[in-house]
Amino acid sequence: MSGKSLFAKDARTAARNRAEGRFRAYGFSAIVLALLALVWLLISILGAGAPAFRQTFLTFPVTLDAKLLDKSGSGDPAALSKVTTTTYGKLIAKALEAEIAARGIEAGEVKAKEFAKMLSEESSATLRTMVLADPTLIGQTITFRALASGRIDGYYKGRVTMESAALDKNVSPAQLVLADRLKDEGVLTIAFNPGFLTMPDASDKRPEAAGLGIAIVGSFLMMAVVLVLSLPIGVAASVYLEEFAPKNRWTDLIEVNIANLAAVPSIVYGILGLAIFINFAGLPQSAPIVGGLVLTLMTLPRIIIPTRAALKAVPPSIRDAALGVGASKLQTVFHHVLPLAMPGILTGMIIGLAQALGETAPLLLIGMVAFVRDFPGGFFDPAAALPVQVYNWTTRGDPGFVERASGAIIVLLAFLILMNAVAIYLRRKFERRW
Amino acid sequence: MDIETVKIKADKVQVFYGENHAIKDVDVNILDKTVTAFIGPSGCGKSTFLRCLNRMNDTIPSCRVEGRITLDDEDIYDPRVDPVQLRAKVGMVFQKPNPFPKSIYDNVAYGPRIHGLTRSKAELDEVVEKSLRRAALWNEVKDRLQAPGTGLSGGQQQRLCIARAVATEPEVLLMDEPCSALDPIATAQVEELIDELRTNFSVVIVTHSMQQAARVSQKTAFFHLGNLVEYGETTQIFTNPRDPRTESYITGRIG
Repeated sequence: MSGKSLFAKDARTAARNRAEGRFRAYGFSAIVLALLALVWLLISILGAGAPAFRQTFLTFPVTLDAKLLDKSGSGDPAALSKVTTTTYGKLIAKALEAEIAARGIEAGEVKAKEFAKMLSEESSATLRTMVLADPTLIGQTITFRALASGRIDGYYKGRVTMESAALDKNVSPAQLVLADRLKDEGVLTIAFNPGFLTMPDASDKRPEAAGLGIAIVGSFLMMAVVLVLSLPIGVAASVYLEEFAPKNRWTDLIEVNIANLAAVPSIVYGILGLAIFINFAGLPQSAPIVGGLVLTLMTLPRIIIPTRAALKAVPPSIRDAALGVGASKLQTVFHHVLPLAMPGILTGMIIGLAQALGETAPLLLIGMVAFVRDFPGGFFDPAAALPVQVYNWTTRGDPGFVERASGAIIVLLAFLILMNAVAIYLRRKFERRW
Repeated sequence: MDIETVKIKADKVQVFYGENHAIKDVDVNILDKTVTAFIGPSGCGKSTFLRCLNRMNDTIPSCRVEGRITLDDEDIYDPRVDPVQLRAKVGMVFQKPNPFPKSIYDNVAYGPRIHGLTRSKAELDEVVEKSLRRAALWNEVKDRLQAPGTGLSGGQQQRLCIARAVATEPEVLLMDEPCSALDPIATAQVEELIDELRTNFSVVIVTHSMQQAARVSQKTAFFHLGNLVEYGETTQIFTNPRDPRTESYITGRIG
């Protein structure tokens, strides 16, 4: 008997228990805080961005008058393409006017020639593209779905009110009243907007027509370049450093430098890319190939570090076993070490790719910020990139671009979540016990 | 004695780990078709010396081997020797069972495959069966050759590793404390197996258990602080040691 009961806590034990309790409380509140921040972020982005996926359209019949669109009557594509959007614009304006008259909708103070102002300036270009793609439409009457102007669209998304419209030279309260009447008649509808994902960017005055098409294609092309270059180079470098390189001062130096490179601000890689790939090698600006190369440089150290960690984590007994039955060093690495390190390598790879996908700064320097209207035909054509498109839209004046930028962030996040899901799937698939 | 042939001959072997002189002046003749046990306290260099015999120490950059080790009168440290070929002739079983995370069949077939020992699938099947039989594992696994080797029990895994090592038809089999991670029943099975392997191979076994050395070996070498103190017939070492250090060790006074 030491004289003290086990049931009585001494002061030291009580103090230790209190310290542990405090530490748990700190940890728990840190998690709660982080979760709240995440939820707040998601709610604000989803709230601001979701409207970008819905758009206001006006649907009405348009007669494609052959006399205006194909004066020669030959149907020759060269001749057809000489007809400008102004002609199509007039056609659309007349058609809308006719539709409003035919349905007997009270236009109020809105003059007939102001009807077309309710449509996006993009709609005439859309119609022209449709006709050029299919000249047989000429002479027919088609049902045309035109984008409403950004202000009308904003009215249905809560951005534009009667009061703000009174002060706005782009829209009048009377037009909003007319829009409501058109909506009642079913001419004006609010529907899912696939164009947000497929259309190119649009100019400052046409937020309603701006889409992510080129940015998605550009980001995809860049990721292809990054994947094709950084996976083999990164894995080969890691395998060499981990399995073959002698351990001496030089490899130590290389190791320190790789760790440092992973911490270099990404914009530095942009300057490097500008100097080497564009100024020295003469590659085109704004091209996915250059973006991909710059992002590869940036991603390489971030792939090499987890790959080396994955190789290091393979138990040495497996190497011994392979060497012991007479496998060469190369066979040991390729038959046993690499397959076991695969889940770790793939995870590192995909996280590196995800970082590259979200990288903006280096792309600004190599001209990916340019306004691009034509879809890139390959790696050497100008293109945009998703994160740069977000940056681009946030700098524009029209309030319609706020929802566009948030919508683009949603698309970017969706891609990142998809990539992480792939990483988790691959990790599960390749994971093996030993 | 003189009708037995010398398989491995070590002559004034020195091993250094950087500045550390781990093995000093070891001379030993390892006989063919004999089990030779290396005993000694921890850190005495017996495993280091064992790993010199198939050049596994090459993988440690700071390790340096001097002196001469011959296998069938060929110097294994000659620059013309490729350690990969050497290791096909001198197989090794490690302390901890280390099957590849592959099927039982692939574990055994790996050596023959990389050395191109078989010409057809049927021939490879034969080699696998023969090796598993030699390792006294065939009856336990013949119905599940495609099951993962890592799913076997510890003793079965170690016998699988032995099967993998004998599948390349080595001439010498090195075993580095093969039973230290096994329970007594598995140990008894592996010991029995070692005795059978003697008919085909020269076996060198490092062990911490003196009883094991006495049970399985014909020759015993006692290492102490990097020196080969005494080498001779196992019965002689255990009943009538010539060196006082050997006597102290086997009676449990040093270790």
